[in-house]
Amino acid sequence: MSEMSVSVSAPTVHPGSQPLPEAPAKVTARNLNFYYGEHHALKNINLTLGTNRVTAFIGPSGCGKSTLLRIFNRMYDLYPGQRATGQLLLDQTNILDPKLDLNLLRARVGMVFQKPTPFPMTIYENIAFGIRLYEKISKSEMDDRVEKALRGGALWNEVKDKLNASGLSLSGGQQQRLCIARTVAVRPEVILFDEPCSALDPISTAKVEELIQELSENYTIAIVTHNMQQAARVSDKTAFMYLGELIEFDDTSKIFTSPSDRRTQDYITGRFG
Amino acid sequence: MAVESNVIDAAGPYDRAKALSAFKLGDVTFYWITRLSAISVLLILGGIIISLVVGAFPAIKEYGISFLWTQRWAPSADPPVLGALGPMYGTLVTSFIAMLIAIPVGLGIAIFLTELCPQWLRRPIGMAVELLAGIPSIIYGMWGFFVLGPFLANTFQPFMIRVFDGVPVLGAIFAGPPSYLSLFNAALILAIMVLPFITSISVDVFKTVPPVLKEAAYGVGCTTWEVVRSVVIPYTRVGIIGGVMLALGRALGETMAVTFIIGNSFRISSSIFAPGTTISAAIASEFAESDGLHQSGLILLGLLLFVLTFFVLAAARLMLLRLEMKAGK
Repeated sequence: MSEMSVSVSAPTVHPGSQPLPEAPAKVTARNLNFYYGEHHALKNINLTLGTNRVTAFIGPSGCGKSTLLRIFNRMYDLYPGQRATGQLLLDQTNILDPKLDLNLLRARVGMVFQKPTPFPMTIYENIAFGIRLYEKISKSEMDDRVEKALRGGALWNEVKDKLNASGLSLSGGQQQRLCIARTVAVRPEVILFDEPCSALDPISTAKVEELIQELSENYTIAIVTHNMQQAARVSDKTAFMYLGELIEFDDTSKIFTSPSDRRTQDYITGRFG
Repeated sequence: MAVESNVIDAAGPYDRAKALSAFKLGDVTFYWITRLSAISVLLILGGIIISLVVGAFPAIKEYGISFLWTQRWAPSADPPVLGALGPMYGTLVTSFIAMLIAIPVGLGIAIFLTELCPQWLRRPIGMAVELLAGIPSIIYGMWGFFVLGPFLANTFQPFMIRVFDGVPVLGAIFAGPPSYLSLFNAALILAIMVLPFITSISVDVFKTVPPVLKEAAYGVGCTTWEVVRSVVIPYTRVGIIGGVMLALGRALGETMAVTFIIGNSFRISSSIFAPGTTISAAIASEFAESDGLHQSGLILLGLLLFVLTFFVLAAARLMLLRLEMKAGK
């Protein structure tokens, strides 16, 4: 009976996202805990993000998905009273090391946010800005890099004639792709997406999803999403989180067809959350 | 039964119209009260301009346009010789130096308070800055006269004069002798007085930057300095310039503190350590004993200050417009 309800209402898994061979670990979390002051927000998280794989994080609001994502680039460091314990490795680097150069870490681990966040400058400058932080290159090289990044963000054809217009003049979907292009331009190794499509219309969403698939050839990707179809479409692995715990972490096809935990099954079939 | 319900339905709209008409009077009254309040501003402004022009008319007729570039100010000569160049120069130079000091310091405080300051230190510093704005200008004047002026004349001024002695241009700007009463001392007091305006407005507008935008900038690997320079300040520049304009408006017109420590000399000297005067200081120190053409000349000075302020603010608007065009619209 329950088997039937799963097969009826669970999102269909894209044929392209059949389980891939295990990839070498890019990011490894061991007994990772996180606290907002006294509040214990993440409890003993153990997982690995495979190199050049897309890992989706799903779960009801407040389950800690975004919190987890914000540990990967130490974004929580901006706010006093937030701390993480346990172990989190990016290749062999300890991300939680207090002496770690955060700017370098964030160059290696890029992030795209829920709402598009173009900087208050021209489209060209939005891309060039990040590159300039790390590299001193000539104008013509910079032009090349900006074009490449905008092509990488599937935005080049729409903006090539107005590179000097403000980044804020673009539509929401374009702004989000500009932000992805900006992230890619810095040449990170890991890209974190925090509900990247929740403010976008369906067509823009489709474009961004397509982009994520393309990016996964060269980048390790983690994506938080409330849209289970989206998780099923874009990811290789899916992590289901609930109340600060990692309930189940497995191949996406397995999570959406035959989850091993009762709570995962209830969530993906829409019985709670 | 059916008829009865029909009657009630039909009566409905009439009652509603009646009820609404009672509100109408209130609406009209409200509309006129707000409109008159707005119009009164225009009336007061117009009235001030007209009375200034009328009062200044004898001086305009006597000196004409040459009032603007005459440096001599001899109200007791016969006939009196009056020129506005000295006070105009003093007003512009003191305000310029004051802004040169107050803008970086004020923005620095604001950046520290919003981006870097530990939580427990925020309130004390913020309150200290606001208290600075509450000090009456006469107290700044006394403090400048008795404490700051002597201090500068004994330490800072001789140092600058020694360092820049013989350097072209700068040597002339920082030329001796040191003086208790000088353009620079007045400018420094002005800078302290306008600092709270720049700081408190900047703090307010910095707080409007969406946290996610700052996170995005940190997310591509920016340092705090890069986030502030490339995201926070560009995002808030209209607000910052507003604060700076408010401060500049105050600096241009500030009277009491400046009158105490500027020396009230109409001679123009290339050195900022020499005494000078500003338009408002000249009016304040001479108005009580003036009559006839002299008084009219002072009123004309007042009119000039009005025009000067207007032009400075207009120039600032223009600058803002060009900044916006450059940022791409």
